[in-house]
Order: sequence, then structure tokens, then C-alpha cells
Amino acid sequence: MKLNVLAGGLLAAIAALGPLPTLAQDPVTLTYLTSQGWALDAHLALAEKFKEQTGITIDTQVIPADQYYTVLKTKLNSGEGPDIIGGQSGVNTITVDINVEKNAVDLSGEPWAKLVDPLVAAQATVNGKLYGLTYWDTLGLVWVVNYNKKVFADNGISVPSTYEELKAAAQKLKDAGIQPIFEPIADGWHHTLWFNEVGPIYEEATPGLADALNANKADFAGNEKMLSNLRELKEMYDSGFFGDNALADTFAEAPAKLASGEVAMVVAPLAYSATVHSELPDSDPNNIGVFLMPIADNNILNVNPGGPTMFIYNKSPHIAEVKQYFDWLTQPEQLQFFIDSAPQVLTLPFSTVQRTKFTADEQALMDKYKERRGIVYQTAVSYVTSQWMEIGKDITAMFTDAMTPEQVLESIDKRRGELAKAAKDPAWK
Amino acid sequence: MKASRYPIYFALPAVALYLAFFIIPSLAGIAFAFTDWSPYSDQVNFIGWDNFAKIFSPNERYLVYIKNTLVFTVATVVLKTIFALGLALLLNEGVKRLVNFYRVMIYLPAILPTLIVALIFRSILHPSSGILNRFLRAVGLEEFALKWLTDPNIALFSVVAVDTWKGVGYIMVILLAGLQTIPRDYYEAAQIDGANAWDRFRYVTLPMLTPALVVVSVLNVLYGLRVFDIVYALTNGGPGYATEVIATDIFKAFSLGQYGLGTAVSTILFIMLVIAGYFVIRLLERGRTQD
Repeated sequence: MKLNVLAGGLLAAIAALGPLPTLAQDPVTLTYLTSQGWALDAHLALAEKFKEQTGITIDTQVIPADQYYTVLKTKLNSGEGPDIIGGQSGVNTITVDINVEKNAVDLSGEPWAKLVDPLVAAQATVNGKLYGLTYWDTLGLVWVVNYNKKVFADNGISVPSTYEELKAAAQKLKDAGIQPIFEPIADGWHHTLWFNEVGPIYEEATPGLADALNANKADFAGNEKMLSNLRELKEMYDSGFFGDNALADTFAEAPAKLASGEVAMVVAPLAYSATVHSELPDSDPNNIGVFLMPIADNNILNVNPGGPTMFIYNKSPHIAEVKQYFDWLTQPEQLQFFIDSAPQVLTLPFSTVQRTKFTADEQALMDKYKERRGIVYQTAVSYVTSQWMEIGKDITAMFTDAMTPEQVLESIDKRRGELAKAAKDPAWK
Repeated sequence: MKASRYPIYFALPAVALYLAFFIIPSLAGIAFAFTDWSPYSDQVNFIGWDNFAKIFSPNERYLVYIKNTLVFTVATVVLKTIFALGLALLLNEGVKRLVNFYRVMIYLPAILPTLIVALIFRSILHPSSGILNRFLRAVGLEEFALKWLTDPNIALFSVVAVDTWKGVGYIMVILLAGLQTIPRDYYEAAQIDGANAWDRFRYVTLPMLTPALVVVSVLNVLYGLRVFDIVYALTNGGPGYATEVIATDIFKAFSLGQYGLGTAVSTILFIMLVIAGYFVIRLLERGRTQD
């Protein structure tokens, strides 16, 4: 009560100071709650530009990453959510952490909804309704084999598209005294990519596998395609294609080794040539080519379509203004501005993007597999990301003959079961 | 006791603090070992002995972790004690010049942070670019240039070696202090009786040094059973699971959100520590009564 009186008195005092300008049309401020790392400088620059054009302020509130969902859930549960809710897309996250069906506005009818890349839109969709705008380079971070073109040409090797071709190429390089593949196992996370990134090929061999795995109606154990993946990985390790010291190698050493031709191939993001070039300015980005990981005869582009996404809080008094902002953001001019001004961004997942920052080779790969893409297994299957490092340990144990490929798969299932039970997942009841 | 000058209630604040911050949390920790406590659910259910059944099931690797922990403990206790005793004897009698300089040099690794020691040794022991293997190759001992930290058959022993290097100075200082308390007369008397150097060591030094040896053994055993940082930083339990010990597994269980299971493993470690501590202290008591 006292506070109200005080506030009232304060307002009266302010009013007495003079007439407030434009009281009739108060400038709108939209609050945007997001986590550290999700708001790039380019995002803030766009918000600033939007304010200049419309007078609507975007108040971006950044929360430390480890507390983000706790803060957000508290706000949502007390009915005091921000106008714009930030969150990672991915069906699990948006149903569990944000509960979009209860808290967010259905955006399926917005003009930009049809422009979003379908794989990316699916990660922000629940029961056929699109809830979020993913404004993030989800397509640029595709893990592929980056290779030194000169080394390939000098040894008369063409780009392999099956495992047998990869093996033959690696053998030829090894015989010529060049380490065929750089595989930094010491980091613990990198060699797991070979297994999880080619998820789409498991899905193609057994349609509906990811859904069945999530419903606890299927297992990793005994899956023939996964077994052949692990057996091939083991064969490459045993044949010395990863060099003598793979267990001690780290990913940070990769740019120098790849650029110098000391190694011929390394699994790295699609736009790795830019990273290599920025670390070693003398290297030629066009000397680095890309092809899909041909393990398990994979020939599907492996997309990880989840990324920081914006949702509209359905109790917000400014839903119309936020819709206006989203519409403005997805205009080609803004998309291009974002791509051009954020160094780490190569493209955005909208069909209206005019100019990406891919090299010719990288763009060619994206175009070639435009119709043949799938979702990586760490995103498609629950409880895989959270045991990423453990899968890495299992695979290392397999390399050192302490586990068999069959045991690696059983071990993944066992941990999925444990994590699911801990999470009280209804499918594991 | 009867001569005690202060009434017992003077101890109450200390007892209360000790209860609140040590005893109750420890007991609560043991209680949580019988639950499915995890960060994914706000419910904590009693699940009986399930966590322990899991740990001792032959399908799991926990028994290997316990074995690794025991191998590490026994190996470091033996190596540290032998090397520390040797160095202490040298510094007590053998070396005449620059004694303090040597003492500092040998003690130095003990004050370096474990993480730094581990990072240095990771580069020293790197199979291709590490200076150890470069040296071995340079002097023609190519076949001894092993993959110290990445060969699952020897990685645990490399960790033991690094830990011994780091810990030996600390143990040496305690033994050196013990040696310096032995009166010189005993040696002179033994010498007059015709005892040679070995006899003097065997019948004078060792018995007189027993209390110090028991102390270092207690410290080494308790340290070895609880070892975490050096393993975590050198190999992170790898390659694969070859060097995983109890404490690194507890850390892993907690980071996977298996709090209940993690506390169950900690409880087992706690029981091992209590048993080891009990026997070593009994030994200490016996040593005293013999004196």
C-alpha cells in the first residue's frame, strides 16, 4: 500500500515537472529474454536498425547459460514471461523447457513461415504448428570430410563416395607416406562424429528408427548399419589410417596439418576452409574441398537443424508488434545484413537468402544434396547428446580392443535407459 | 579426563558445527545412495539396494575401476615410500654439500598444482612430439619409446609414475624429519658392536622410523584411494576406460545426472577409506605400545 502511495506521489511529481511528450502513443518496448551466446552482435545491430525504422525498442536481456532455463521457467510459471522467449529449437526442448503449446503463439500463418527450411522448421513445430523463428546459421555447421585438394590430385585420388573407395584412397595415401585421416581422439568428442553424424543413413536403412528409438520400441544394439559403421571405424583405426598417435592428437592441431598436406583429410565443419584460412593466412581456402563422410556408405547430407530460436509469449500485450518484428527480420535485406555482418555465420535457413558465404565447393555440396538431407542422430534421438563423451570412450575402448562394436551399441542403449528412467520418460515406464 | 579444567558444554559449539557440516551431510549422503535421485525429476524415490547391486554386477565396469584404484594405491604407496626413504637417507647422511638445495628441489613438485604437472607430463609423454620419446629415439632406444598415456596396457603405470614423481618429495620430508629424531648414539653403539651399514639400517633406522613410516602409509593409502585430479588431467580415465578410478567414475556419474548412483559409489569409497584408515591406525597404535 505504502509503495503504491509512494509510486503515485512520484508519478505526480514527474507529471508536475512538465507535460510528457507523445503520451498518446507510448513507444513500445519488447522484452527479449535470451541466453548467453544466443544473441550475436549482428542480432543486436538488427534490433537497433528496427528501432530506427519503427520506434519499437527491443530490450535484449541476456541470462548466463547455466541458469537460463531456470530463470525462464520461473518467469513463465509466474505469468510474467518476456514478450519474446529465446530457446533452443528441438522438439524435446520446446515441449519440456518452454512448453510452447501452453506458452507460445502459433506462428504457422505468418508470411515467413513458408520460407523456413523444412528441417529447421520441424524443430520448432509441435503437432503441426510452427511456434518459433530460428534466426541462426543451423545449416553452416554440417560436419563433413575436409580434404587437401592438392594432396588428392598429386596422388591421383578422386573424391570417395563409398567406404570401399575411402579405404582404397586412404591406403594409397598411406603407401605414399601421407597420413590419410587426422582423427583427434584425445579430445574425446571428435571421433564420435563419425558415428552420430551419419544418423540419416541409419534412418534410411530402417525407416522410422529414430521415432522407434525415442518410443523405446527399438535399440541401437544389433542394428546392422550401425555395426558396419563401427566395424569400418575400427578397421580404419587398425589399418593406421588415423596415424600412429590418434589417441594423443587434438583437433586444434588440425588446421596446420591439413593446410600443409601432412594429413589429407579431417572431419570438420562445412566451412572449415575459412577457419583454416583465418588461422593460417598464407593457406589457400580454395585448396580445401569437402565431401560427405562415406562411412557406412553414407550419402545423405547430415543436418543438425536445432539452434537458438525466438518464440512469442502468448500473454504478451505486444503480440502484434513482435509479429511485425519477425516479419521485418525475415525480409531478404535483413537476412543478408545478418549473414554479411556476423563472421561466424555463412547462411540462414530461409529460401529467400540471396548470397551465402560458402566457397564454391561448399556451395556445390549444399546444392548437390538439396533434396537428400537428414537429421543427425544426436538431435533426432533423445539421450544421445548427453552421453556424447561416453560414446567417445566406448569407441576408444573399441579401438584398443577393450570392447567390441556390439558392446559399444549395448552400452549406448544402457545409458539411454538410465538417462530416460532418471528423467521419468513415460516411454521407459 | 578427571583433570579436565573445562566443563563439557564448552565443546558444544564445536560438536554442533561438526554435526551440522560433517556428520549429518555424510549420513544424508549415505541415505541418498539408496534412492534414484537425479536432476531430471523433483521426486526422490527409495529404491533399496539397486544402486549397489548395479555397482557389483559383473556386467558393469565398476569392479575394474575398484581394481584400478587398488593397483594405483598399492603401487604409489610402495614406490613413494621406497624412493622417499632412499632420498631421505641420502640427504640425511650421504650428501654433504648443498643439502638444502636438494631438499627444495625434491620437494618442489609437491607444491606445483596437479593440473599443471599433468599438462607438462602430457606433453613430455606425447608419443611423437614428447621429449621423453624424442630422447629415447635419439639415443637409439627406439623400442622403449612407448605410447605412455595412450596404450591401455601401460597408461595406468604412467599415471602412477607421474604421481610418484609429484608426491615423493612430500613423503621424503616427513621421513627426513623422522630420521633426524634418531639419536646418533644408537648408530655408534651398533658400530662398536660390529654392525655393518645394512645391519644399522635394518636394526636401528627401520625400527626407529616405524612411526613416520606408518604416518606416510596412512597418508598415501588415503590419498591413493581418493585419487582424482592426476588421473582426470592426464588421461581422463582413458584410453577407453583403462585408467578409470573410483573418484573419476563418481564425477562421471554426477555429470550424467545419476546423483543416486554417484552417492552409492562414494559410499563404497567411504567404506573403503574407513576400513583402510582403521587398520592403518591399529598398526600405528601397535607400533606405539611396542615402543
